[in-house]
Amino acid sequence: MTDLSPAVSALLTGGALLGALLGLLAYVTLLERKFAARLQSRIGPYRVGPHGLLQPIADGVKLLLKEDLVPAAADRTVFNLAPVVFLVPCFLIYATIPFAPGLGVADVNIGVLFFLAVSSMEIVGLFMAGWSSNNKYALLSAMRAVNQIISYDLPFLMAAMVPVLLAGSLRLSEIATAQQGLWFVFYPVIGQLGFVAYVVASVAAENRVPFDILEAESELVAGFRVEYSGMKFAMITLSEYAHVIGTSFLGALLFLGAWSGPGPEWLGPGWFRLKALMMFSLITWVRWSFIRIRVDQILRISWKLLLPLTVLLVMATAIIVVLRGGTGG
Amino acid sequence: MADARPSGFFAETSQLVFAVARAMRITLLSFIRKPVTVHYPEKPRAYPDRYRGLLALVYEKDTGEEACIGCRLCEFVCPPAVIQVEMLKGEKRNYAKTFTLELYACEFCELCVQVCPTDAIVMMKSFDLSTSDRRELLLDKDRLHAIGQQFPRSWATGNRLRDMQAPPKKAPGEKPAHAKPEAPATPAATPGGVEGPVPSETAQKGGVEG
Amino acid sequence: MPPETPARAVRTLDYTGSERLTMNMGPQHPSAHGVFRAILELEGEQVVGVDAVIGYLHRCHEKLAEHLTYVQYPSIASKTDYVAAMTSELAYVMATEGLAKVEVPKRAQYLRVLVAELQRVASHCLWLGTWCMDMGGALGGGATVFLYCIRERELILDLFEALTGARLLYGFHQIGGVRYDLPEGWAAQCRQTIDLIEQRLLEYEGLLEENAFFHLRTKGVGVITRELAEDVGIGGPLLRGSGVAYDLRRAHPYSSYEDFQFDVPVEPAGDCFARYQVRMVEFRQAIRIVRQILDGLPEGPISSRPGVKSVAQVRVPKGEIFTRVEGPRGEVGCYLIGDGGPKPYRMKWRGASFSNLAVLPHIIPGHSVADVVAIMGSVDPVFGEVDR
Repeated sequence: MTDLSPAVSALLTGGALLGALLGLLAYVTLLERKFAARLQSRIGPYRVGPHGLLQPIADGVKLLLKEDLVPAAADRTVFNLAPVVFLVPCFLIYATIPFAPGLGVADVNIGVLFFLAVSSMEIVGLFMAGWSSNNKYALLSAMRAVNQIISYDLPFLMAAMVPVLLAGSLRLSEIATAQQGLWFVFYPVIGQLGFVAYVVASVAAENRVPFDILEAESELVAGFRVEYSGMKFAMITLSEYAHVIGTSFLGALLFLGAWSGPGPEWLGPGWFRLKALMMFSLITWVRWSFIRIRVDQILRISWKLLLPLTVLLVMATAIIVVLRGGTGG
Repeated sequence: MADARPSGFFAETSQLVFAVARAMRITLLSFIRKPVTVHYPEKPRAYPDRYRGLLALVYEKDTGEEACIGCRLCEFVCPPAVIQVEMLKGEKRNYAKTFTLELYACEFCELCVQVCPTDAIVMMKSFDLSTSDRRELLLDKDRLHAIGQQFPRSWATGNRLRDMQAPPKKAPGEKPAHAKPEAPATPAATPGGVEGPVPSETAQKGGVEG
Repeated sequence: MPPETPARAVRTLDYTGSERLTMNMGPQHPSAHGVFRAILELEGEQVVGVDAVIGYLHRCHEKLAEHLTYVQYPSIASKTDYVAAMTSELAYVMATEGLAKVEVPKRAQYLRVLVAELQRVASHCLWLGTWCMDMGGALGGGATVFLYCIRERELILDLFEALTGARLLYGFHQIGGVRYDLPEGWAAQCRQTIDLIEQRLLEYEGLLEENAFFHLRTKGVGVITRELAEDVGIGGPLLRGSGVAYDLRRAHPYSSYEDFQFDVPVEPAGDCFARYQVRMVEFRQAIRIVRQILDGLPEGPISSRPGVKSVAQVRVPKGEIFTRVEGPRGEVGCYLIGDGGPKPYRMKWRGASFSNLAVLPHIIPGHSVADVVAIMGSVDPVFGEVDR
């Protein structure tokens, strides 16, 4: 790798990552379906391949072969561009995550900030999709989406600031190495509260139940993506899953110690993946246990409860860090 | 949502946390339990004895002849009128010359089975007759007899149902079964009558919801 | 001049167009509970007017009843309220028996109550599942509650299948009694099933009752005041959830209901949560009645007119009658005019859900779109009954 020019090696790493990611995402959808099924006393996909293991491939092939529908009165260019604009930020967030010490596409020194800024750009794609569909349901959903995601990105950021303060750096690999001794989630009170706030804020920012009012099937029939079918629909769905998994990876890195775990060094990435999938399972478990709440209640929770709490949490962390005399404690 | 006073806030939040934990525990219990899925069609479905499945014509047990005498009672009783029968008169007994049953319009109400005097038409303990062409569900007499041989038969026939509803008269000297001394109350016929004071209905759970 | 009652104050929609958004909910909609079209006039997120359009499931039941005899129609009657089929059959059969002065044996009456109460449990299972699915989403927690409720309902449907041979539309009632008697081992299976359901009810309450999300979605939503309830003419859990203590099984007992002990729940609040509580209590009371019946079922024939010998075997003299039963959704009524022959001159269904839907334009305005589904679910319409 070292004798290739940096540009080429960056391209290769990025390409390899994207490939691995697409494979992972496809099978994460299967994991979610089987997990959800077991929570509901049934078996998930079972027939396609042994125990449903070929189901994501079958779904992918089916979606590829579907007709590409664009509603007659929709804004064609924006309609076709929206899935792409939605997809790019959701995959770009993986660039900053170091999957092992030194194994990452671009471990920038503002890692956390980059992640959060880019991930909230998906809302542009979302609104483009809702607006260009020429559909009242999609429009309602897009308006709610803008509201909700903006409201929850702030507590999300604040909750992510807690590990940043404790580690003293925005660079993700440094936050991971700072947890060699003790994972941030085990820090008394602020660790646990920060983790809970992170999970709640990320669930809301990703439009997962119980905050998925903007895709409420029973009211808005899939919301902003109601007019999408075929591969564009697949792109939107995959991007949503990518976002969820991305925040799970980030959560595992910020709070659960990333690649630290018992066993030899080379098991590190395996532990990281396991922790990310456990966080994803937690989010899925919450998803399949609760009914959703109304959008005004969601916003009320964000502005009146979560944001003040997380701001207080960050201030408390800052005080503790100063009192401890600098970082790396 | 959040109370201004700290005590109210903590109480509410802790209640919320416990409620969330309780709900998630219940879904976790389902995760651990065995799923209720039955792997049909590998595992056959257990049909109860009285299952109202496909319709069929049967042969008489002792003589092996067709049991249907072409009386057309089933044709007249069928609510969606899916049965059509033509009678063929014979010397000793009558037969059905043609017997068509439109299974795609059948309601499976079992009235034809109830009315048949010779227990000729019965229902099977199966519904496995899916086709891709609706014309295959227009059953003629041969098809109906074939179905009768192919699947296990349900318990119900006209005479059995009749006997179940009112057991046959006992030997003289005993009171017949359905002339009971206590006069059964007639169902509430007219809505008239005094709208009297309704007895106090107590709510099972706590009363006023604040 | 008709008096100014709460029921008169309904806002008509302005279709000429204004700054408000007119949106269609249904008839093809995941939470329309059947085929129902609600034209909502929205101001932002808030609904200011509702127009309810029904008739998408009209299948001419009342005309059909004029062409089918009293022997043929009971199995068709189950198709009006297909979720609680036993109730619809019972109303028609009781009307005919009342006019024709047919006596029903005691065992048959007890069996009718047994299946009616089991049907109430099954129907409320479906209600709870679909309501939570509407509120929670087909891909979310609502689907979990839905699948649990359907799992329990399947147990009851298995009981009905062992009893009648059919899972959903039974044809169990006939003029003079019932068609089937309990098979061997059914009583034991029934007891097992209701014990299990009673346990599982605790689980549902654990998932819902103390859940803050559930409270947020249902408390204070869709309040039907007591005057409105009495004015509009709703029935069933909607009426009892608004503080009116009226249950047909107590007020005008039919089919030996006076022999059984059960409580009738009443909640004064009138919101969705109150109706939820009323139905949860009704679950348990229905199970209580089933236990009483299984303990004390009298011997005897199950029909005073056994067997079907001809399609026109029941002739009803001239006269008219209106019979009502307490279905899971409210008061199901059957108005019958006999003319001496084997077919009725006129038969009219008073559908419980049809009258209950009349309350929607009064209670929906003022709520947001998300509450519309919560309210519709707690009203629990079945469109077979509405459109007939």
